[in-house]
Amino acid sequence: MSEYSISVKNLSVAYGSFSVIEDVSFDIRNAEFIAIIGKSGTGKTTLLNALAGFIKCNGDVNITDCIGFCFQNHSLFYWMTVAENIGFGLNNMNNTDKKHTVNEILKKIDLFEYGNKYPKELSGGQMQRVALGRAIAYNPDVLLLDEPFSSLDIFTRDQMMDWLIKLISELKITVVMVTHYLDEALVLADRIFVLKEKRISNVVNVPFAKPRTQAIRYTEQFQKSKQELSDLLN
Amino acid sequence: MKEFKKIYYSVLSIAGIILFWQVLSGFDLINSNLIPPPTKVYLAIIEWAKSGELFIDFSTSIWRGITGLLIGSIIGIMLGLFTGRNQTLDKILTPVLNVFKAFPPVALLPVFITFFGIGDFSKVFSISFATIFPLWVNTHLGASTVPAEFIRSAMLLSKSGVKIFFKIIIPASMNSIIAGFRISIAISFIMLYVSELAGASSGLGYQISSSHLAYRMDKMLGALIVLGLTASMIDLIFNKIVKYFFPWVQLNKII
Repeated sequence: MSEYSISVKNLSVAYGSFSVIEDVSFDIRNAEFIAIIGKSGTGKTTLLNALAGFIKCNGDVNITDCIGFCFQNHSLFYWMTVAENIGFGLNNMNNTDKKHTVNEILKKIDLFEYGNKYPKELSGGQMQRVALGRAIAYNPDVLLLDEPFSSLDIFTRDQMMDWLIKLISELKITVVMVTHYLDEALVLADRIFVLKEKRISNVVNVPFAKPRTQAIRYTEQFQKSKQELSDLLN
Repeated sequence: MKEFKKIYYSVLSIAGIILFWQVLSGFDLINSNLIPPPTKVYLAIIEWAKSGELFIDFSTSIWRGITGLLIGSIIGIMLGLFTGRNQTLDKILTPVLNVFKAFPPVALLPVFITFFGIGDFSKVFSISFATIFPLWVNTHLGASTVPAEFIRSAMLLSKSGVKIFFKIIIPASMNSIIAGFRISIAISFIMLYVSELAGASSGLGYQISSSHLAYRMDKMLGALIVLGLTASMIDLIFNKIVKYFFPWVQLNKII
């Protein structure tokens, strides 16, 4: 088994004549958590879409077939119940195993009693948890997250971060997350890719040992790292 | 409680109109020979029902209307899904369908009668023809605008195109399909009436036209009321079916 979950070489993406990403290369190790940060319009989501194979690109992208993806606006199938959404990707299971897996995921996302509800009956944070539950239900090797908490209020976002720290430590899978929030990147990631002028301008190793809690946000070292990241973005 | 209030206000407004009509007739403010009072229309409906003709006319019209509507809907929905999701089929079929859509179905009725005779087939065919287009246009719109995130999520979660078509594309297009269906219900009743004007010996449309020719304005208005109530009833039943089978559809936002 390869040491890397994702290997990208000379990746470029253009919409017509408009170039969005140019000559990007990187490797991501198994079970590593990568955060991609950058200003609006720097191609963060485009890079994630290219990794998922949603858009055409030039260059080599080596990534597993088994990908979980969580969109910014959750994209739950509103005509299905929470349980049906989570079970949608469980294709090769009989009904008993499927029900068991869905129940396990519902417990994992703290929504066990909500299986028969429709997405419109849930709060923003609950919908995002269902979207994550759906993405991890079939045990993907890689999880791609596109600003999963950006539509949530600050309190729910903090709760979701705690929840994600716990979930990822249990799953031990490779995660690539696009985010606007430096706090989120520093609390969750092992490495941070700074996207600037169509390229990865810097790769920052996060200097905090795991497992982490949000308490590190109030340390001097954290504020210093955040300032350094902010300087890299500007 | 909300449902009860809705029914209460509907009954109240209809009762108000009937009362107003009765008062106008009672004070001779309208010509009772042309527009008979509600009491006379009511008696005409009772007489019509007792003779057994009402049931025959009602069931004949329902059969023609529903058969035509269902055939037209199935064709319209299938065409909409094909042209909405497949660019090649869209390029081939859409120009042809647009030509047919431009013909007023009422004006084509003599053509259908010429081809298919004056029997039930031409009536059902004309209703089907007229109901295809609202469903085709609406389904096409719904199917072609399914958000990319839904398709992308589904493609990561399942490799089966058939599963994605039936479990994602069709449900995600359902709001538009239902909106088209409700327009088609209204159009099917227009076509039902028009098609029963020519070469019919029973049906609600036939009763309206024959009562008019016999100067039985009470029966004509009675038949009109029964036709209107039938259309409303079908719309109501359709809404109940939608609520039961597609609980996520927000009917109040459609029409």
